[in-house]
Amino acid sequence: MIKVEAFSSPGCAKCAKAKYTLKVIIDELGQDRVSWRDVNILEELDYAIELGVFSPPAIAIDGELVFPALPSPSRLRAELIKRLEKSR
Amino acid sequence: MLTIGKVAASLQVSTDSIRFYEREGLLSPAKKSDAGYRLYTEEAVRRLNFIKHAQQCGFSLSEIRELLEIKGQDKACCSDVYRVAIEKKLLLESKIKAFKTMSQALTKLIEICSRDAKPLDACPILSALESSIAKQHARSKSLPHGRAASNR
Repeated sequence: MIKVEAFSSPGCAKCAKAKYTLKVIIDELGQDRVSWRDVNILEELDYAIELGVFSPPAIAIDGELVFPALPSPSRLRAELIKRLEKSR
Repeated sequence: MLTIGKVAASLQVSTDSIRFYEREGLLSPAKKSDAGYRLYTEEAVRRLNFIKHAQQCGFSLSEIRELLEIKGQDKACCSDVYRVAIEKKLLLESKIKAFKTMSQALTKLIEICSRDAKPLDACPILSALESSIAKQHARSKSLPHGRAASNR
């Protein structure tokens, strides 16, 4: 199972909208294969810093900061497909 | 209109600082007198006060410039300032974490020091630092080129 974590700050309207479009990809690929977790950076500050998040919103995959800024849906899809194929 | 000296005195900053902010594009006089003296409005004093407080909060000049730009935009809202504040907090917290790690490393080094009058060749702190530097060199040589470069 691939673990996607979206780091953002509470009350960020732009983040919420962008995350919504990215979450659709998780549904497309199957929630049994890819999980999604929203991370509130203010609640998990240490974890965010540990991964190197300096400018939220950002996306980490399997505990690695892969997208320091929110990617386009196509870039996230390509990255997840690549990882799913590798894990076969 | 206020002269640079009066502005500086009212906010307890130096006139050199005010000229520096001008060179950095953060603050400019409303006009110059016939004799060439800089003259400032009350708005400039408020702006200088803002710069001073932002610096005290740890904001860099480029971040202060960004905040002032946001402040001057009609379409900007609180969330724009909130974003800058969050980014600054993340940066500060990461620095605090790095400083704590450095402090812990120093605690360990201080603990091994016997504080006597041995020559520097026998100094455990210096030798520990040298051996850790040597270890780091060995580690970076053993890493693949790409990885070693990315850690620089």
